[in-house]
Amino acid sequence: MKVTVERAALLKSLGHVHRVVERRNTIPILANVLIRAEGSKLSFKATDLDLEITETIAAEVAPGGSTTVPAHMFHEIVRKLPEGTQVVLESSGDRTMLALRAGRSRFTLQTLPESDFPDLAAGEMTHSFKVGAADLKRLIDKTQFAISTEETRYYLNGIYLHAAGSGKAQTLRAVATDGHRLAQVELPLPKGAAGMPGIIVPRKTVSEVQRLIEDNDADVAIDLSQGKIRFAIGDVVLTSKLIDGTFPDYSRVIPSGNDKELVVDKKEFEQAVDRVSTVSSERGRAVKLSLSSGRLLLTVTNPDSGSATEELEVEYAAEPLDIGFNSRYLLDIASQIESETAILRLADPGSPTLIEDKDAKGTLYVLMPMRV
Amino acid sequence: MPVRQLSEATVNRIAAGEVVERPASVVKELTENALDAGATKIEILTDGGGRRLIRVTDDGDGMTGADLTLAVDRHATSKLNDDDLLDIRTLGFRGEALPSIGSVAHLSITTRHNSEPHAWSIAVDGGEKSELKPAALGAGTRVEVRDLFYATPARLKFLKSDRTEGENIRETIRRLAMSRPDVAFTLAGEERAPITWAAALPGAPGRLARLADILGHEFRANAVEVRGERNGIAVEGFAALPTHTRANALGQYLFVNGRPVRDKLLIGVVRGAYADYLPRDRHPIVALFVTLDPREVDVNVHPAKAEVRFRDPALVRAVLITSLQQALVREGQRAATSGGSATIAAFRPATTTRPGWDWRRSPAYPPLSTHGNAALGFAEAAQAAFDVGGPSADARVAVAEATADLIDNPLGAARAQVHETYIVAQTRDGIVIVDQHAAHERIVYERMKAALEKAGVARQILLIPEIVELDEAAVERVLARADELSRYGLAIEPFGPGAVAVRETPSMLGHIDARALIRDLSEHIAEWDEALPLERRLMHVASTMACHGSVRAGRRLKPEEMNALLREMEATPNSGQCNHGRPTYVELKLSDIESLFGRR
Repeated sequence: MKVTVERAALLKSLGHVHRVVERRNTIPILANVLIRAEGSKLSFKATDLDLEITETIAAEVAPGGSTTVPAHMFHEIVRKLPEGTQVVLESSGDRTMLALRAGRSRFTLQTLPESDFPDLAAGEMTHSFKVGAADLKRLIDKTQFAISTEETRYYLNGIYLHAAGSGKAQTLRAVATDGHRLAQVELPLPKGAAGMPGIIVPRKTVSEVQRLIEDNDADVAIDLSQGKIRFAIGDVVLTSKLIDGTFPDYSRVIPSGNDKELVVDKKEFEQAVDRVSTVSSERGRAVKLSLSSGRLLLTVTNPDSGSATEELEVEYAAEPLDIGFNSRYLLDIASQIESETAILRLADPGSPTLIEDKDAKGTLYVLMPMRV
Repeated sequence: MPVRQLSEATVNRIAAGEVVERPASVVKELTENALDAGATKIEILTDGGGRRLIRVTDDGDGMTGADLTLAVDRHATSKLNDDDLLDIRTLGFRGEALPSIGSVAHLSITTRHNSEPHAWSIAVDGGEKSELKPAALGAGTRVEVRDLFYATPARLKFLKSDRTEGENIRETIRRLAMSRPDVAFTLAGEERAPITWAAALPGAPGRLARLADILGHEFRANAVEVRGERNGIAVEGFAALPTHTRANALGQYLFVNGRPVRDKLLIGVVRGAYADYLPRDRHPIVALFVTLDPREVDVNVHPAKAEVRFRDPALVRAVLITSLQQALVREGQRAATSGGSATIAAFRPATTTRPGWDWRRSPAYPPLSTHGNAALGFAEAAQAAFDVGGPSADARVAVAEATADLIDNPLGAARAQVHETYIVAQTRDGIVIVDQHAAHERIVYERMKAALEKAGVARQILLIPEIVELDEAAVERVLARADELSRYGLAIEPFGPGAVAVRETPSMLGHIDARALIRDLSEHIAEWDEALPLERRLMHVASTMACHGSVRAGRRLKPEEMNALLREMEATPNSGQCNHGRPTYVELKLSDIESLFGRR
């Protein structure tokens, strides 16, 4: 195999691919990236057995062939090469080494046989559809913060993607929760997604997809089945296993009868919460919201250091209410609000609160209060 | 086969199976008899691990000839008045020991009662009673048991080595001796050097003296007196400081109305009381004596009376825990002297060569060449010899009056910081070396704990209640403690017969594995009857935060900061140990230092 390729193109592609490779591996081949040269194409493939990424770029190939080299080291080398150089990759006669030449630099990398490289057999995909890259990114951005990191409830360690509603009003809905709060975003259902199974896309996959979307105007092609999902983003194809579990019936925790409506200026509210929570210690981080007609009083008390209060003018007409929240959770949600106004629908200090974005349709957040 | 009444001898052997398990149980029964007879001096002699010979001699009341014949019969005792099993004031009461021993060994008893002109003796061989014979004995009773278990060879096979059995006998006597410091004990035998514990004064000093005899003198130096009383339950005894511990719980003794018992209650109590001071795998030495109305405790649970049952175990537990905790808080300032004495031991007069130190390079070495370069003496190498590593921060306090005041404090006035880690302070009669990180960690931790107690634990309500499946008994156990758990921020509710729903969790634990926590709790409650794991987890978070939030080793402190730290340590409860049971400071008495230099 002998390949000549532009350093910039190589670096960009390796930058995408090497992130999937774990830093520490028990199986040596998983630390490697598979390089395959064919025709005038050079492709890279890396996997951690749950997630597989392939990217294809143009290159001068003569003759073709394939091999595997340590991914992180390969990426580091290319990163440190001077800009604008041509990189030549050539495998040795017995194919145990890969020589890399660029300018005056020479590297030889040990290889592992490409036949050992695992293949994440994608199998039959049952549903295929296209989503605008910007839309997909929004689905992820608005829900990602609520994904649980707790390993025991593994079925919460991802975004639940499914088709909701019926008839014309069908939507593609993304939901994430960590048991304390919940985020839900929806889009009109793309063609081809009708009847898709509810799937849980793992956290790592979600964040890779988010990073890979560079061109917001393009479309992302999604293929999925019960157990796998594949995203085709430009030249990159990402295939991932799905979390094998049942996502809880989240619709039951989204309150419907919360009649106390609080309308706040998003920016004002966010800044005020941030300010008062300065006095709270690491633990707890509780902020108390005292509501009375047209007035919101935010209070944080820290027995170790002091207290803070801030008053906001808000739209509130229901009877007075005191309710506590984890200030970090409030800030997390506030930062997802796109419009200037956020609407909080409350019931009582022990029941879930619904938070809506006034202008952004199709998003909603549920937050459970704290008892303080 | 037709049903028939078993013979007397068989009945006795069956009973012996329960009462006389091994040589140590014979020793226990006979020694308890001696104590019940009001002896002030008891001698125990054993041979072959008690298998060949056990002889217990006392100077108690003794028995009349008529009593003696009756005593070796089954269910005959002088200790139970009016057959009232609820009001037992003696160690024995079942009237089983002597006939049981007699049925499996050669038993001979010689005894003299005050009212009789001479002593009597009787022998029982494998259950066969001999005639009563006159004998010679000054006063008291002597019981001899030879060839134990010769009549039940099966039991003989199950005995361990002589050494192990001998050790068991010693342990039995140790326990009895701890309970009665006013009685002198002598334990002798072929396999051991005789041990004598002289009768001690009554009251706490005598008790401590006896405990020190038995548990070692380190214990005496590190013991804290425990004393408490509530609702007719009195506790006294001694507990070791948290810095004086062992790796197992064998050094924990409980006595109920003078009777040594093994009860899990004690282990739970000790864990609870020391939870703040000790890592999980360390166990302090404690000896606690509980006195309560005999009617409040049932000793007739176990033939060997190793276990008792309290009418109100929760109350006994509460009294024990509070008394222990009070004692520990009272003495919290005192770090173990083992720290101090270990330090003294580590010091050696500087006659031995320090590694890497060569006298020829020291200033004491006479220059060889008289016409050498004089400036050489100021060369770096020569100067290095003078460098003994000065204090990191010079903390000589500028104002003399202030020093005089500070020096009167228990932890004295800070003099210097060495290696940016240890504060050296001067007190009236010695010096104190403080580990700044450990000390500050304790202070921060105590402060956080107080804040937590004052403000309560903030609870995060769960959006999706977590359902934890458990077996039914476990569910009931956990739910019975729901109130206590909710104080620590964990709200649980019943959820069908085999599950609980977790509705709220302590927010400082963040996202927790509720399932594992509940299981842990239910197991702990089953075993120790307390919900320690939750509290421990909260405290673990608190102590981790304390650790991060405290002054690290390696930070240079100003004199004012050092003095402030010392004053704060004095004001903080339990500042003698850090959260992991290590001492935060050691104190060296001036007298110790003087003796190091041979001034005393």
